Amino acid sequence: MNKTIAAVQEGDLDLNQLVKELATPDAGAVCIFTGLVRAVTSGEAPHRTDHLEYQAYIPMAEEKCAQVAEEIRERWPAVRGIAVIQRVGKLQPEEPTVAVLCTAGHRDTGVFEAARYGIDRLKEIVPVWKKEVGPDGETWVEGSYTPEPGE
Amino acid sequence: MKVRVLFFATIRSLIGQKELEVNVPEGTTVAELKSILGKKYPEADPALSTMLAAVNREFSDDETEIPENAEVAFFPHVSGG
Repeated sequence: MNKTIAAVQEGDLDLNQLVKELATPDAGAVCIFTGLVRAVTSGEAPHRTDHLEYQAYIPMAEEKCAQVAEEIRERWPAVRGIAVIQRVGKLQPEEPTVAVLCTAGHRDTGVFEAARYGIDRLKEIVPVWKKEVGPDGETWVEGSYTPEPGE
Repeated sequence: MKVRVLFFATIRSLIGQKELEVNVPEGTTVAELKSILGKKYPEADPALSTMLAAVNREFSDDETEIPENAEVAFFPHVSGG
């Protein structure tokens, strides 16, 4: 049994509810990736973030979330349930921003790799942008991946 | 022909509008539309040339011909997640 959820939403992400929605009698493993708003960034460009503002090209973003789910299904036929969900709007530190869930019969079916692929692919092709608002002002974050025509 | 143009993130701020309707000659390409908009909004011209484009919600490139009544979106490299 295959279930797919692909969405772009303003509201909270309820991970427990998503697991319930994806559960099927033949699935015994769920891999969940979620991302949080990071208030403190260390490394090469250390900075603080007060909040993030997400903007999306909603109809295309929803279509591309569905495309990410289809690509997972093609590459990992053992995966049963897939959720690819991006939040938009104003998000505060420590709030979840995104969720990719994959279910399968067992954990050794590629379900970890499938979820990893999902979040990587979302960051390549789903038309969503985040603006970081911090003590030093506002900055639009820009990715680096250029999709091919029709990708 | 009429084309609906949408802007997101940095380019929305530079153009100062979420969307526009423009009249362009048949067979106009994405690059030609960027150039038409660049003349109308000189402050956005340098950024426009680097923007990604989607025509009717499909990723496109500068050579893509725009069909009649299309929805064309311009935006920077995506940064969701």
